[in-house]
Amino acid sequence: MLRTTFVKGALIGLVLIVVASACAPASTPAQTPAPSQPTVAAPAQPTQAAVSGKPVDVELWAQATSTQAGAPPDDWVGYKTIREKLNINLKYVIIPTGADGETKINAAAAANALPDFFQTVSTSSERNKCLELYKQGLIAPIDDLMKAMPTRVKTHYNDPAALSLTKFDGKQLCTVEVPNLPRREGLVIRKDWLDKLGLKAPTTIDELLVVAKAFTTQDPDGDGKNDTYGIGGYWDSGTWGLGNRFEFVTGAYGLPGLWNFANPDHFGLNVRDPDYPKALAAFKQFVDAKVIDPDWATIKRDEFRIRWPQGRYGIMWEDFAALAMKSNYAKFDGNFPNGEWVPLPALQAPTGKKAYYNAYGSVGNIFAMSKKAADAGKGPAIAKLLEWMASPEGYYLLGFGVEGVNYKVSSDGVVVTTGLPDAKLAWNAEGTQNLTQMRNQLIFTNDPKEVAARYVDFKSKNGRTISPMSFYQFFSTQPWVDSKPGQLIVYPSNRADLKRFYDENILAFVLGTKPLNDQTWADFLKGLDNLGAGKWEADAKKTLQDAGYAVK
Amino acid sequence: MGQYVHRSTLATARVLSAPTRRALVPERLGRLAREMWKHRWLYLLLVPPLTYYVIFRYIPIYNAQIAFKDFRPLLGVEGSAWVGFEHFQTFFHSYYFTDLIVNTVVFSTGKLVLGMPVAIVLAIAIHESRFMFFRSLVQTVTYLPHFLSWVIMLGLLLGLLSPSSGMINEGIQAAGGQPIPFLTSPDWFRQVVISSDIWKDTGWSTILYLAALLGISPDLYEAAAVDGASRWRRIWHISLPGIVPVMVLITLLRLGNILDAGFNQIFILYSVPVYSVGDIIDTWVYRSMLDFQFSVGTAVGLFKGVFGLVLILVANQVAKRTANQSLF
Repeated sequence: MLRTTFVKGALIGLVLIVVASACAPASTPAQTPAPSQPTVAAPAQPTQAAVSGKPVDVELWAQATSTQAGAPPDDWVGYKTIREKLNINLKYVIIPTGADGETKINAAAAANALPDFFQTVSTSSERNKCLELYKQGLIAPIDDLMKAMPTRVKTHYNDPAALSLTKFDGKQLCTVEVPNLPRREGLVIRKDWLDKLGLKAPTTIDELLVVAKAFTTQDPDGDGKNDTYGIGGYWDSGTWGLGNRFEFVTGAYGLPGLWNFANPDHFGLNVRDPDYPKALAAFKQFVDAKVIDPDWATIKRDEFRIRWPQGRYGIMWEDFAALAMKSNYAKFDGNFPNGEWVPLPALQAPTGKKAYYNAYGSVGNIFAMSKKAADAGKGPAIAKLLEWMASPEGYYLLGFGVEGVNYKVSSDGVVVTTGLPDAKLAWNAEGTQNLTQMRNQLIFTNDPKEVAARYVDFKSKNGRTISPMSFYQFFSTQPWVDSKPGQLIVYPSNRADLKRFYDENILAFVLGTKPLNDQTWADFLKGLDNLGAGKWEADAKKTLQDAGYAVK
Repeated sequence: MGQYVHRSTLATARVLSAPTRRALVPERLGRLAREMWKHRWLYLLLVPPLTYYVIFRYIPIYNAQIAFKDFRPLLGVEGSAWVGFEHFQTFFHSYYFTDLIVNTVVFSTGKLVLGMPVAIVLAIAIHESRFMFFRSLVQTVTYLPHFLSWVIMLGLLLGLLSPSSGMINEGIQAAGGQPIPFLTSPDWFRQVVISSDIWKDTGWSTILYLAALLGISPDLYEAAAVDGASRWRRIWHISLPGIVPVMVLITLLRLGNILDAGFNQIFILYSVPVYSVGDIIDTWVYRSMLDFQFSVGTAVGLFKGVFGLVLILVANQVAKRTANQSLF
C-alpha cells in the first residue's frame, strides 16, 4: 500500500513538474514600447536603468578573432570591469563564421530576437545584410550613438567612404569597424622543397605546374613515401567559382573574383571575358596532373589548416597571420624545423595580360543595433560601451589583456611580451586567445605601433627569424583588384539557383566532368542568362553608377 | 467483455432514433469518465507527452500561415501581408526543382529500401545467436555509430575514402588501381550517403525488430523444431511473419517523412561537384534562407508535410487492403 502511494505520489510530482516547466514563461524579454517612443536617447540623457543605478544588460554577438579558442570565461576581468566602470552587464556571444553565422543571425531575425548589438554576418555582403535588416525594420539607425562616441569616431570611424556604405536616406544604419589588414593573403611555396629538388621559384602558371608536378612525384620531403601534393587548398563556399584559394589562377589571366572591377570600361561578370575559359583550362591542367590535394572540394578551412603543418603541400594560398604568427606556425615548426615558406609573386599567364594576385573587397566588419534594443533605451549604454572600448583602458584590456600579466608596454609605446612573469599568459600565447576575442572585430585600429605589437618576429626552432610582417608586406604590395564597390551590389532573389549553376559548371569544367570548349562555354553563359545573370549585371552597373563609380 | 458491450451499445445506437441517441450521449460520457478515473494513473502518464505535442507540435502550426504571407519579423506572423501561393510557386519554379525532388526521394527510398533488410537481417542474426556475450557485444558495437554526429562521421569517412590518404583508396592503389574520389564523384556520392547512413543507424534500427522477435511465442519455435523444421525454415515461417506488423509500421512512418532525406548528413557530406546528385530540398532551402526567404522555407516545409500526410494516408489504405496491416 505504502509502495502504491509512493508510486502515485511520484507520478503526480513528475507530471506536475513537466507541465509546470512547459507552461512556465520563457525568459521574458524587455517589454517593447510603442514605436512612437524615441529610438535612442540623446547622449546627455541617462537611461532609466542608469538613473536607478540598475546595470543595463547588453547582449553583443560577434565573430571570434581566434575561432578555435572559445569564449572568455564567466569570471573574465573584462566583464567585471565593464560592470564596475560602465554599469553594464555585458553578455558576449561568439557567432560562427560564414554561412553558419549568417544562419544564426537570420534565425534570430526571423524570431525578432536579435541581440542588442551584433555583427551582420553575411557570406555575400555585410553591407547588404545591414540594408536588408533595416528594410525589415529590425535595426535602428545609429546617428545618435555616433554623436555619443567622439573618441571612437576618431579612432575607428574615421573613413567617410567606408561609413557611406551603410548610410541610407541620410541615416547611418550600421557601424563599419576598422577592417583587418587588407590584401593579407598570398601564395607561398616551400623553399626547402625547391632547394632539395634543385628547382627555381615559379613566376608563371606554366612554371608553377612544373614545380607542382615535381613536388607531387619526386618525394620533396625525402621520407621515401609518395605522400605529398604540389598544391593544397579548399573550396571556399563563400566565394563564387574556383573560390578564393585558387583565384591566383584567374588572377594570372587578369580576371580574379566574380566581377570585372579591373576593367571598369567593360564592367560585368568576369566569366564574360573570352580569357576566362583559358584560365579554367589552365587550372584543369593542375587537376588532370593530380598535383592538387584531391580532397580540395570536400575539406573545409580547419582541415586545410591541419594538413599544411603536416607537410602535405608545397604550394598554397594562405593568410599571412595564419601562416606566420608564432602560435599558428608552431605546429609546422615542430614537425619541420628546417621547413621554410617563402612568398610567391603574382603569376603571369601566357596571354601576357596584366596579372593580378587576387581581388579584395573587405571593408571591415559591420555592426548594427537592433530596433528592440533601441526601443528599450539601450542605445546610450551601447554607445558608452563602444566609446570605452576605444579609450586607453578598454583598448588595452580587451585588445591585450591585463598589463603586467598578459603584456607590457615598452618605452617607445609598443606592446611587448618580454619580461612577463609567465610567458604562457602572454596575450598572444595559444592559451590566452579567449581573453581577447573581440580584438579584431571591435578593438584594433591598425595603428603602426599596434600592428608592430600584433605581428612580432620570432625565432623558429632552427634559429631562423620568422617575420609575419614581411609576408604581409610582400602580399599587400602585389597587384590586387579593388572590389570593395561590390559590397553595394544586391544579389537577385534566385541567388541560391544562380550560385549553384555558376559554381557547379565552373567546377565541372575544371574537374573534367563537363568538356570545356567553345560550345559548352557558350551554353554555360546562356544558362546564366536564363537564370537572370544579364539583368543582375545591368542592375549592378546601375547601382554602382548611382553610387558614383565610373563603370560602363 | 467490456469492450464487447461497448461495441454492442454503439451498434445499437446507430439504429436508434435521434432523441434516443442524444439521451445515450451523457451515459457514454459518464462511462468514459468512470473508465478514465479507474485508470487515472495511466492517463496521468499521458499528460507530459500530450503537453509536449500541443506546445511544440500543434501550436506552431498556427505560424505556418507565413507560407502564404510576405513575412516581416517586425510585423509579426499576423501583421505580415498575404501573398497567396507566391512562395510555393517560387519553389516549384526553381531551376532545380526536379533535381531536388528526385535526389530527395532517391535518398529517402534508398535508405528505407536498402536499410530495412539490413536491419532485419541483423536483428534476426542477433536473435538467433545463442551466445549472450557475443550478442551483447554485437548489439553494443552496432548501436555505437548512432551516437556519433555527422561531423565526426565525415572525419571517419575521409579517413576511409579520401583519395589522398583514405584507407580504402590506399588499398585500391596498392592493388594497382586508381584512387576513387568517392565524396566528390557524382557516380559514387549517393552510394556513400546511403551506405554511411545504413552503417550509422542499422544497429539502432534493429531495436524495434528485436522487440518484435522477442514478442513471438517460443512455443511456435519449439513446435516447429519438433516437427523437424530447420533453423532457416523457422526464420522464414515464424520470425519473418512475426515482424511483418513492425515492418509495415516502420514503412508507413518513414513514408510520412519521404521528403526528409537527412539534412545534417547531406549538408556535411556534399560539395559542389556532387550537387547534381546530392542537393536535396532541405539543402536548397538552407541556401535560400541566407537571403531572408523565411516564407519560402515555411512554404517548402508545409509542402513536405502535406505531401507526407497524403502519402501516409494512401499507403495506410494500401497496407490495410493488401497486407491486412495498418497504422489506424
